Amino acid sequence: MARPCAVVGIGQTKYKRRRDDLSLDGLVREAALRALEDAEVSFADIDAVVLGKAPDALEGVIMPELSLADALGAVGKPIHRVHTAGSVGASTAISAAVLVESGRYDTVLTVTYEKQSEGNATWALSGGKSGGQGAGGTFAPWIREYIRRSRAPEHIGWQVAVKDRQNALKNEYAHLHLNDISIDMVKESPMLWDPLHFLESCPSSDGAAAMVLSCEDLVSRSPNPPAWVLGHAKRTEFSTFPGRDTVKPQAGVDCSAALYKEVGITDPRRQIDTAELYVPFSWYEPMWLEGHLIAPEGEGWKMTDEGATALDGDFPVNCSGGVLSSNPIGASGMIRCLEAANQVRGTAGDYQVDGAKVALGHAYGGAAQYFAMWIVSSELDPVFA
Amino acid sequence: MAELQDIDFTLEYPYTRTTGPIIGPFLTGLRDGQILATKVGDRVICPPLEYDPDTGATVGPENLVKVGPAGEVTSWTWVTQPTSKHPFEHPFAFAQIKLDGADTTMLHAVDAGSEDAMSTGMRVVVRFRSERLGTINDVYFVPGDEPPEAPEVADEAEPVMITEHLIGVRIREPLQPHRRRFAEGLLAGKIIGQRSPADGKVHVPSRGYDATNRVPMTSEHDVEVADVGTVTSFTEIVPVQYHGQTETEPYIRCSVLLDGADTTVGGIDIRDISVEDFRVGMRLQMVWRDSGDRMGDLDNRGYGLNEEVYERWEPTGEPDVDPESLKEHNF
Repeated sequence: MARPCAVVGIGQTKYKRRRDDLSLDGLVREAALRALEDAEVSFADIDAVVLGKAPDALEGVIMPELSLADALGAVGKPIHRVHTAGSVGASTAISAAVLVESGRYDTVLTVTYEKQSEGNATWALSGGKSGGQGAGGTFAPWIREYIRRSRAPEHIGWQVAVKDRQNALKNEYAHLHLNDISIDMVKESPMLWDPLHFLESCPSSDGAAAMVLSCEDLVSRSPNPPAWVLGHAKRTEFSTFPGRDTVKPQAGVDCSAALYKEVGITDPRRQIDTAELYVPFSWYEPMWLEGHLIAPEGEGWKMTDEGATALDGDFPVNCSGGVLSSNPIGASGMIRCLEAANQVRGTAGDYQVDGAKVALGHAYGGAAQYFAMWIVSSELDPVFA
Repeated sequence: MAELQDIDFTLEYPYTRTTGPIIGPFLTGLRDGQILATKVGDRVICPPLEYDPDTGATVGPENLVKVGPAGEVTSWTWVTQPTSKHPFEHPFAFAQIKLDGADTTMLHAVDAGSEDAMSTGMRVVVRFRSERLGTINDVYFVPGDEPPEAPEVADEAEPVMITEHLIGVRIREPLQPHRRRFAEGLLAGKIIGQRSPADGKVHVPSRGYDATNRVPMTSEHDVEVADVGTVTSFTEIVPVQYHGQTETEPYIRCSVLLDGADTTVGGIDIRDISVEDFRVGMRLQMVWRDSGDRMGDLDNRGYGLNEEVYERWEPTGEPDVDPESLKEHNF
């Protein structure tokens, strides 16, 4: 049986179009040092480092885990690199948790980043060739198929875009602070890939996120409350195969089912207090509510429409502003896991969900084919009624 | 008919780097005629770092000190055939150089004339190039101790905050056997898929194996499918401008389930049907180029057709297929 693991330190950089005040090393260190400070430990207290980022082609720095080892205090210590496309931030958090749970390392530093301004994501995702369709161009037809199947009204996407940007106004680290965001502004912004408008899409950000994870024996030394990692799951499927459902990928369904089973959750909407879901394009909020078994099929959009996913709703989603407000790709999944921890530690500040005890962090990547999720709690062994 | 070539592709992008509080002054120094290092405890580190490489502790710009201009070679290698990315067009040495005042070595180029002029322990000294841009290649080293002439520095030169680097990799590989047969088929006017021996599903283009059932497929599993099919998914692309992008106008990208296939062919370009008329379920016919005009440009990884074998796709005029029946083909 694995031993318990908890998040005891959290660090984020300010997310921005271009962090021109910092080198790549400096960006990654800013998040790492803040996580160490939050946990009141130093590099000397760290037993292993786990680094994650999206494809190396995004910055053109090949195998950055080698050049960043010294910058992350990993001299004489193991450093691991995780890579699972856009889901990598959450996969990295899970890999770090496993190192603690296994009993091999007591305290692990995990760091993820992207410095999107150094390259061009659409170029990289196109394999360096002309005619790339980009992530939005890939997802848009699947979103239209979701709308066809669920008969969701078109304003759902606009609502998500507004809600997440309003939440971001409460988060000092968020890239986008759109003070006058409104439904009209979203639907009048340029159409990029029908039905996705410009303001229904994520920004391109520089940023890094980090966490310190510790075993049970060391948690009491931490000055701030822990977020216990109750369970985690990863699942993958091929991008194409006969019978693949891109709207509700089987790997996503299996990933959440395995996670809920491990944690003992039988009614996710009621038993989970808040979720940070990977929503780079507005419609993915209802799609993942259904794809991860939080809402019945065809009814995810009703949760959005009724305000259930708002900060004061019964199932708040992306209270931090989400990927729609900050997208340093490699870090975006870890930010979801880290913000889930923020909520159950009670350290989410202005976007704190009252009394949040159990929170879900989630990321997906590739052609909606890689999934990584974890559930954290303020209690080591909560009872789910 | 066009000959199939091995894949030969250069993946290349002009990346930018923000330099930060230590590397920025270092590069500015090279441009302006000095070499800077960081003093970390008792050690002087060159090239400088933003942190103590042993402990990870932060090292600020207040710790910058001057080193050089001369130093000692601690090891070296001779480059006989320089590439376009090297600092010289003629043979030169890469050397680890411990500059006077520094405790660590810096890797840099020595313009020594011949390999015989190089030795471990020799003295070398910096030279500033006449054109300097704030990069590591603004300087090089020569044998000896003769100090450099102070370079001319523009009065109004800004500190180096950002640098640009054309970074690339050339990829050369043969087409995998199943891709070669697929490409040869296209040149001959046929679309070749593979029928899985496990469940009979036809994969187009095939990966050379059935991923769902984990069985390999060989030439005996090759089957020809139709050049007519049904649109299962599409996007209108407004081209994002990036390095190497040649598209400027919006166009449609679609996936088509060819008759006889169980996977869709993706990334098909539609240039002459308006987006208002385009829909999932629509029946399309591929119109081939004349065989002499078909090109063999295909790599090992795509899930589409080679677009240089067809002129266009045109509606067949048949009734649409119900989108509900295409649910499992919406990639």
